[in-house]
Amino acid sequence: MPQPVTYRGMTLVVPDNDSEWKEYFEHARQHRLALRACAACGLLRYPPTHACPWCMALEWTWREVSGRGTIYSYEIVVHAIQPGFKDAAPYPVVLVELDEQRGAPTPDEALRIVANLVRPDFTPEDEKSVAIGKRVRVVFQDLADHLALPQFTLTDEPAAGRVWRLPG
Amino acid sequence: MKTLRDRYGIVGVGETEYSRGSNRTTRAMAVEAVRKAILDAGLTAADVDGMMSYQNGDSTPANWVAPDLGIRLNFYMDVVGGGSSTEALIGLAMGAIEAGMCSTVAIFRSMNGYSEFRIGGTGVRAAQPVRGLDLAQVPFGMRSAGQNFALTFMRHMYEYGTTSEQVAHVKVAHSKHASQNPKALLKERVTVEDVVGSRWIVKPLHLLDCCLETDNATCLIVTSAERARDCRPRPVYVMGVAGRVNKPRTDFHWAHGPITRVAGHYARDIVFGQAGIGPEDVDVTGSYDAFTFTTMLQLEEYGFCPKGEGGAYVSSGTIELGGKRPNNTAGGHLCEGYTHGMSMVIENVRQLRGTVDDYCPGAADGVHTYDYGPGRCRQVRDAEIAMNLGWAMPPTGSALILRR
Ligand SMILES: [Zn+2]
Repeated sequence: MPQPVTYRGMTLVVPDNDSEWKEYFEHARQHRLALRACAACGLLRYPPTHACPWCMALEWTWREVSGRGTIYSYEIVVHAIQPGFKDAAPYPVVLVELDEQRGAPTPDEALRIVANLVRPDFTPEDEKSVAIGKRVRVVFQDLADHLALPQFTLTDEPAAGRVWRLPG
Repeated sequence: MKTLRDRYGIVGVGETEYSRGSNRTTRAMAVEAVRKAILDAGLTAADVDGMMSYQNGDSTPANWVAPDLGIRLNFYMDVVGGGSSTEALIGLAMGAIEAGMCSTVAIFRSMNGYSEFRIGGTGVRAAQPVRGLDLAQVPFGMRSAGQNFALTFMRHMYEYGTTSEQVAHVKVAHSKHASQNPKALLKERVTVEDVVGSRWIVKPLHLLDCCLETDNATCLIVTSAERARDCRPRPVYVMGVAGRVNKPRTDFHWAHGPITRVAGHYARDIVFGQAGIGPEDVDVTGSYDAFTFTTMLQLEEYGFCPKGEGGAYVSSGTIELGGKRPNNTAGGHLCEGYTHGMSMVIENVRQLRGTVDDYCPGAADGVHTYDYGPGRCRQVRDAEIAMNLGWAMPPTGSALILRR
């Protein structure tokens, strides 16, 4: 079993029998954001679960996605709960809607991922720069030789639709 | 639509003190709450033959609590669950009785939610290894309930223009109600300025948008309508129940939007369909206030106002005592204390009996002044129908409609 990784006081564990996450993080370690694609209907899904939520098929393949997307919602953690995040606060958590498969298979569905919005050095992005509608791309934060976390960072692309942030 | 409308009732309610340091076990607290509810119903230990509880590894199971009171059980079940379990267990208790498994069920929740297993996610829980689905959010500093829900609240502000000031009115209303509740942890009334001026926890949540971690136990007793009519208190009947109802993709609910939609979207037709009424017929609501926002989101989702207009609804005075449809008249989780939803059903039972335990000298006999000034009355005049909107998470909830 791979060694547990300590990150911000947390013990992250991806055991060999973790048939949901092991391969996801193997791709992430190689700095690729890959999602499961249903072998029957072709739809991508996240998290990497074992059956297709739309057709129940059990067969799937991994498919790399662009890692580009838009901030769909966010929050700014000011009072950190986890001890290892105390020195990071205030830090943004973003819900990123990926460019692939937006509004499919129904208008309310999309591939959305939770991560931090970070600067190139993986420190938290300034909260004044965080807004719904801003464009982002995935970056990979190496925590150990065998584990990297997909994070997101702002891009120079024009915003997608209305840009909004909490007043103040 | 299958319905057991008016065929079951809640006949007994009871709770311990709400504190931030019970200094005793969840077993001791559960025993006290169950005993109080049995006595409230005018029953004896021999009359109770079913028991249910919910917990998250932080409490004492029913088969340890019942013997302490000399209760021999024909049925018990302890389930894993938090918020929104109350209403669902009432429905399951009705089902157990309907199936002939038992005749009268005590439902309890007992937790040292402040002094032992902190509901906010700090302490022992924060030290557990992160694995499985938790890898999708916990490594990013998203673990507590507030952190889990804030994305939903922020998106609601974006989509509908909801403001911090609007939802602060939920805390203002509930603090007003708590000032008339001798049991409440926080009895001091607060203003909108107090709420939006309190320190940030996780934007858009301020400290006073968040509920109070509390030590307590609570109990409700469910039985058939026939037996309910023989109990001491005025019967309170179940008109409809739904729970725990889910949105699609509950494991990672952000996958299926709109993320501002909550479980009530799917629960409302079930519960109103059974009851044969609509939101306009409800006199009192108990909309789960883990946060100010959760009350607002559920009230709009169940149709007490159009979707997206929850901010205007909760800031209109409607949800305050003296308003058209008061919410959480005991002060709720924001002010009375955090009970995982039980206290809001208990309060609605008392409202329908007309015997809310406020500061009116004749309260126990149903004599109230209806003076909603601080330290006075919190009985809603002629309350006939009450509704509970239970919340676990944005994608999971329950509902209950009671009548007198
Ligand atoms: Zn499929």
